[in-house]
Amino acid sequence: MKQTLVRRHQFQTLRRLLLNIPLMVVILIPLLYTLSISVMQPDEIYTNRLIPSSVSFENYVRALTGSYYNFPRMILNSFIVSTSVMLGQMVTCSLAAFAFSFLEFKGKRVLFLAVLATMMVPGEVTIIANYLTMLRWGWLDSYRALTFPFLTSAMGIFLLRQYYLTFAKELYEAAKLDGCSNIRFMGSIVVPLSRPALGALGAYVFLNTWNQYMWPLLVTNSRHYRTVQVGISMLYDIDAYSLGLMMAGVIIVIVPSLSIFVFMNKQLIHGLMAGAVKG
Amino acid sequence: MRAMQRKGDAPKVWKGFPGAVEPYLFLVPSFIIFGLFLFYPFFRTIYLSAFLTNKTGQPKIFVLFTDMDNYLALFRDPSFWKSVGVTFQFVFLVAFGGLLVGLTTSLLTEKKFPGSDAATAVYAMPIAIASAAASMAFKMILHPTNGLINNVLGTQINFTGDVRYALASVVGVTIWLTSGINFIFISAGLRNVPAELYDSASVDGAGYWRKVWNVTIPTISPTLFFQIIINIIGAFQSFSQIKLLTEGGPSNTTNVMVWSIYRDAFFNFRFGSAAARSVILFLIVLGITIIQFRFEKKGVNY
Repeated sequence: MKQTLVRRHQFQTLRRLLLNIPLMVVILIPLLYTLSISVMQPDEIYTNRLIPSSVSFENYVRALTGSYYNFPRMILNSFIVSTSVMLGQMVTCSLAAFAFSFLEFKGKRVLFLAVLATMMVPGEVTIIANYLTMLRWGWLDSYRALTFPFLTSAMGIFLLRQYYLTFAKELYEAAKLDGCSNIRFMGSIVVPLSRPALGALGAYVFLNTWNQYMWPLLVTNSRHYRTVQVGISMLYDIDAYSLGLMMAGVIIVIVPSLSIFVFMNKQLIHGLMAGAVKG
Repeated sequence: MRAMQRKGDAPKVWKGFPGAVEPYLFLVPSFIIFGLFLFYPFFRTIYLSAFLTNKTGQPKIFVLFTDMDNYLALFRDPSFWKSVGVTFQFVFLVAFGGLLVGLTTSLLTEKKFPGSDAATAVYAMPIAIASAAASMAFKMILHPTNGLINNVLGTQINFTGDVRYALASVVGVTIWLTSGINFIFISAGLRNVPAELYDSASVDGAGYWRKVWNVTIPTISPTLFFQIIINIIGAFQSFSQIKLLTEGGPSNTTNVMVWSIYRDAFFNFRFGSAAARSVILFLIVLGITIIQFRFEKKGVNY
């Protein structure tokens, strides 16, 4: 009896493995294949091999040193923009979330509803008007255009507010009685205590900004302000040997995204779940 | 008791100038950004949709309710309806395809087994990958002469350029992109199914598929419904895949609404018409959100 149970368990484990492995391969193939092509010699790609005969980093060197498109500059641009947006949202969203959870004021409900209402408008709906604003202000091709529109988010305010609401109200009242100002209370108590929520917001916002494509495509024309996601699509058009170059570019661009996924997995998923609570 | 008194007294205390204004100061940074880049462009889009514009997007001729009305022009244009049709096809396939992949991967990792942590990580991984980067990877996979699929099949199919395959290709890429979020949410839903439900089903002699069909799916139906809505709203916003793989073609078979907005504005410089398309897209997404609210109140449950 016991033996059959053990055997049944082993059979189930085997079955799970046999069902999972092919599916895992399917999900991983785009990355594995990209990696494989990216380390091939340029002419090997056109022999339709799946696995490179030897590992070559020529495509990476060419992607990073090619003078025509300046890929390192694009990587730097993406880092500058993603970091600025991340830090900006941490500040603006903390401030707004603090007001919405600790302070009492006229119109609080209406203003909070206004914040939530912004979640109902997909970015693609306002993108034309935003582009025209940038055109009118002469902001095209600048870091301002890439960062300013994203310096706050309803998702960030919502995520932090949910976290602040778990704090005991007495904590705030006690601090007030001791003559602690709001901003000091925020700086010395709320922000240090809300590190997990800030981490979730930071990981999610950095990744999202790093991964942006449509907006950077619209507001940048010169090579100086292009971001990586726009950059990799440009690697494709360079010459007949650009397939390997493009794949090396994809891998370079994916490394920071995957690093956040691996090292900040919990925070990222927390942020993602808060972000998906749309409408 | 004392604490309660304090609470009751607090609002009556006159806070003076800084006290009364201070809360709003905390909101100023966020509301400046919302105002300039969300509220203003939202109303500006509605406003622009009533005009014919010049090449820099300045409204020039008010045409609402005239013969040249942007909306009327769209409704009279068969290619607009084709674009709406393509969008709905695309959205439907992505929403249910993504759900199916998410449900499969979640069920396969529901119980622990050696390697289940790796499987969980792999299934969630697409959430981190940019749609542009993934599109370029798939561009290589689908490449007509040197791509993986054609290599393996020994064919030379132009997946992104053939009217028979183009839509399926971008749908496939989008399902891959959304599979991670589907996996994460549906897995979370599965963890909330009470074990007693399975136990009593087992006692009744139900097999695996019966349990999935009669216990799991009904119990997580609110999660599945919510996930379909997320998929639908996400699919309506797809752009990178279309831009990088098909550019709306061939013969407009992948000309989804966001792409048509982009084309109208940046190829034809018809910002009024692009704005009208944006308003229509907004109304569709709003309608879906309202449906979600309605159902959520009623509760999609067994």
